[in-house]
Formats: sequence, structure tokens, C-alpha cells
Amino acid sequence: MKKSAIALAVALGTVSFHSVAEIRINGFASIIGGQTLDSDDTLHGYDNDFDMENRSLFALQLSADLQESLTATAQIVGRGQNDFDAEFEWAYLTYAISDSSQISAGKMRIPFYRYSDFLDVGYAYRWVKPPQSVYNLSFSTYNGLSYIHNSTLGEWESTVQLALGSVDDDIVAITYSDEAELNNTVGINWTLNRDWFSVRAAYFATKASISAANSPELSGLLAGLTGYGLTQQADDIAVDKDDAYFAAIGISIDYNDILFDVEYTQFDVDNSILAKQQQYYASLGYRIDAWTLHLTYEHNEDKNESDEFNSVPLTITAPNGVTIPVTTDPTNPNAPYLRTLVNSTLANARAESETWSIGARYDFHPSAAFKIELNQFDNTLTDQKVELLSFGIDLVF
Amino acid sequence: MIKKLMTLGLLLASHATLADIAVIVNSANASAVDDGTIKKLFLGKSKSFADGSSAAPVNQDGNAVFDEFNDKVIGKSSSQLNAHWSKLVFTGKGTPPKKLDSDQAVIDFVSSNADAIGYIDASKVTDAVKVIGKY
Repeated sequence: MKKSAIALAVALGTVSFHSVAEIRINGFASIIGGQTLDSDDTLHGYDNDFDMENRSLFALQLSADLQESLTATAQIVGRGQNDFDAEFEWAYLTYAISDSSQISAGKMRIPFYRYSDFLDVGYAYRWVKPPQSVYNLSFSTYNGLSYIHNSTLGEWESTVQLALGSVDDDIVAITYSDEAELNNTVGINWTLNRDWFSVRAAYFATKASISAANSPELSGLLAGLTGYGLTQQADDIAVDKDDAYFAAIGISIDYNDILFDVEYTQFDVDNSILAKQQQYYASLGYRIDAWTLHLTYEHNEDKNESDEFNSVPLTITAPNGVTIPVTTDPTNPNAPYLRTLVNSTLANARAESETWSIGARYDFHPSAAFKIELNQFDNTLTDQKVELLSFGIDLVF
Repeated sequence: MIKKLMTLGLLLASHATLADIAVIVNSANASAVDDGTIKKLFLGKSKSFADGSSAAPVNQDGNAVFDEFNDKVIGKSSSQLNAHWSKLVFTGKGTPPKKLDSDQAVIDFVSSNADAIGYIDASKVTDAVKVIGKY
């Protein structure tokens, strides 16, 4: 008994020694250059001056099998837009419960979209970047738990992922950088795959709080409304512990040399200044030997619901019975009504655009691909068109 | 002379791509393994044989046999295969099969590991392993 215990201890010691030694290092990188084709145009962080930083990135992934079923994974990413400062974007532990299910805890990718999991791994898809009208949320990681279950349903392979956690990040919402907290985030996504066809649906719900501090207009409006005692109306435009949801559905086809993807997404933050957003893309690709050619159409529409307008009263009655106009300055008869300002802020959140893209990917090396793409973004509200040309190399190692 | 060399080169090249591939398992492995299972095991979509025992697939290391196997059995180019694995590797969902650099190394591995599955040039098959399919 004692002997076997010692033998076991020695065996375990040896096993853990080997496990510790086994650290896998993988990496991926994108070196992408681009510019808009007209002098005053900007799009996706590019302007008319040729830029090689905006979308370039370099990443290393370290994973270590700690014990039989436990893996630690960290991804360190340096992005050109942050001067290639390396940051831990992912850091999580995965425990394989069985061959078909695993649970992970830590900082991970939020599985919003079909291509979310490998959003930064340009090598894994045909575009320079996935269609930006749909892939437009400016944050992509969360802290929490993820459970993945794989199974077979007849001829179909099913993958269900449950996510639970929170996001605490500066995001693009009211301005280009607002402090945001998404708490009690719960999500599910389900992918069914059969040979060349796959279909995926995702749904997330969360409590969203986004600071108005960086928007003087919004902070001013909120202060004005609160000053009149209109706290309900202030709550209706502020993003403060408001219910938010995100829903997505998509299909992917990879049939012989034909590739087709379509994804539709919509999300909204209830009782807030933020508009409901609906977007989709459809993309057709065709492989010819080492080349993949593609054509993509994207559509985006952001709009506040009509019942959100005119919620602010034009006047209020003071306790002494006097009627006070709800304006920016009650002593000035020409001051604008807060209703007008709130309505126009709600209206300004409106956006509508279409984007057409053509591009090519050339696999010139087993682990590197050259890509070139032309996007034409059309703001259909103003009829303004912007063209962006980008090209570069994606690699994995 | 140059012409002859070129013909010889072409012959060698075509010979290399025409080699049959044999998929092999340990002689003690009694599981039925069909084409679909082989594909799933080598793409990381499944981790066990039909009887539920875990499987340890081994690849060859970027040689002609590897290309031939991918083309005939998996049905993907090496770029497509790389893209497939990058999707799993960079999401912590899987690691590609271990790579061995010759038919003999695969035979040695498969004959000494009960859960192993590999592939070799069909003309190199020995009694040490069990062939479950030829392509």
C-alpha cells in the first residue's frame, strides 16, 4: 500500500513535471495598410493619408496544460492603433469536463458574432476585417464564465455556448470613448453545422451603464431635466442600469469553392438616448486555387423608436401654481425648450448606411495570406459616399 | 538531356501525388472507423472512436503524404486546413494532431499506442498496424 502510494506520488510528480514543461506558443499577425480615396473622407479609422497602424496587430497565445483536463490560455496582443503596446486581451482557465463539454473562467471573447472568436485572426477569414456594419461593437472581451457543449444531433453537429459575466471598458457609444459597465451579462449562442452548411443564433441580455461625462451636450441635458425635477425623463435618456439586449442570427455555407455568409444583428438599450441598431451583411466568396474573391453588401440602420420622442413636457407647474417653461433658461423667453433638444438628440442618433465591398485573398504561403479590399460606404441619409482601399498580409505561426 | 530530366521530374512528381494513402490504427483497435469519423478526428471535431474510447490522431509533417491525405480524405487545401485550425487554436477549443515526420514514425507511434490513428503511404504498410481504409 505504502509502496504504491509512493509510486503514485512519483508518477504524479513526473506527470506534473511534464505538464508544466508543455507550453504551446502560437501567434498571429496582420500588417494592414489603407487609406480613403478622397481628401476629406474618413472611414473605420482611416483618412486620406496612407496608414499602416490602424488595423495592424501582432499577437502571441500561450497555453499550458496544467493537468489532464485543465488548460491555462493567455493572449497578448499589440495593436498598431495603440502603438503596439502589448496587452493581455485574454487570460482564462479551461476545464474539460468531458470530451464534449468544457468550462472556462477569466477574460475571454464575447461570442456576439459568427467570427467573434477569431475576430483578430485575419488568416481565418476572407475579408481584411469582417463586415464593419455588423461587427461594429467597440468592445469584444468580457470577464466571467463560459460553458461550451458539443453534441451530435443525427447528421448535425451542435455547439451550445453559455456565457455569464461583465464588461468594464471604455467604449464607443455616446462619444468615441465613454466609460461603460455591462453587468449581469448572460448570453447563449447555438451553432448547428452539417457538412458545408452552418446556422448560428445568439442572444445576450445585460444591464448597461454608460457615463455621459464625455458628452457636454448630454450631461447638460441631464442636469437641466433633473433641475426641473424631471428625473423620469432624465432616466429615459441616460444610460444608467438600463436593460439592453443583443440578438444575432446567421448562416454560413462553404460548398465546394463557393462561400456564402449572411448575418443579421440587432441591439438596443431600453430607455436611453442610444438608438436601436439593426444591421446585416451578405457576402459571396469564390475560391479559385489559391485565390478567394469576394463581394459583400452591408446595411445598417440606427433609429430611436417614435414613442421615445416628446416625453419631455413643455411646461411644468410649480408648487405655487405658476407655469414654468422647461427651457435651457426660464428667464429668457427665447431659450430653446428641453423637449426640442431631447428630441433632436434622439433624432441625431439616427443613421443609415450601405456598404459594398469587393476583395481578394491570395494564399501565397501555407500560413500567410495577402488580402486587398475596396469598401464603398454610402451614408444613405446624406448621400455621402466614402471609398476605402486596404491591403495587407495576415499570418499565423 | 534537359528534356529527359524534366520527364523524369514529372514522373517522380506525378508518382508522389498518386501514392495511395492507408489510414491505420493499432492492431488491438476493434472500433469501426468510417470516412466521416476519420475526418472528424483529424479536424478536431471528435475526440473518440465509435466505442467511446479516446483517440489520438497523428499527422505527418507537411510532406507529400500529408498533402495527399488532406486532399483525398479531409478534402481541404493546406491553407484551408490552417485556417480551420487557427479558428480552434486561437479560441482554446482545440489543438491540431501531433506531427510525425515519416511513415515509419507513424507506424511506430500507432503500433505502440492503443488509441492512435494515423496515415501512411499505402506501400509502406507493415504487420505492426491495422489498415482501416485506403484512399
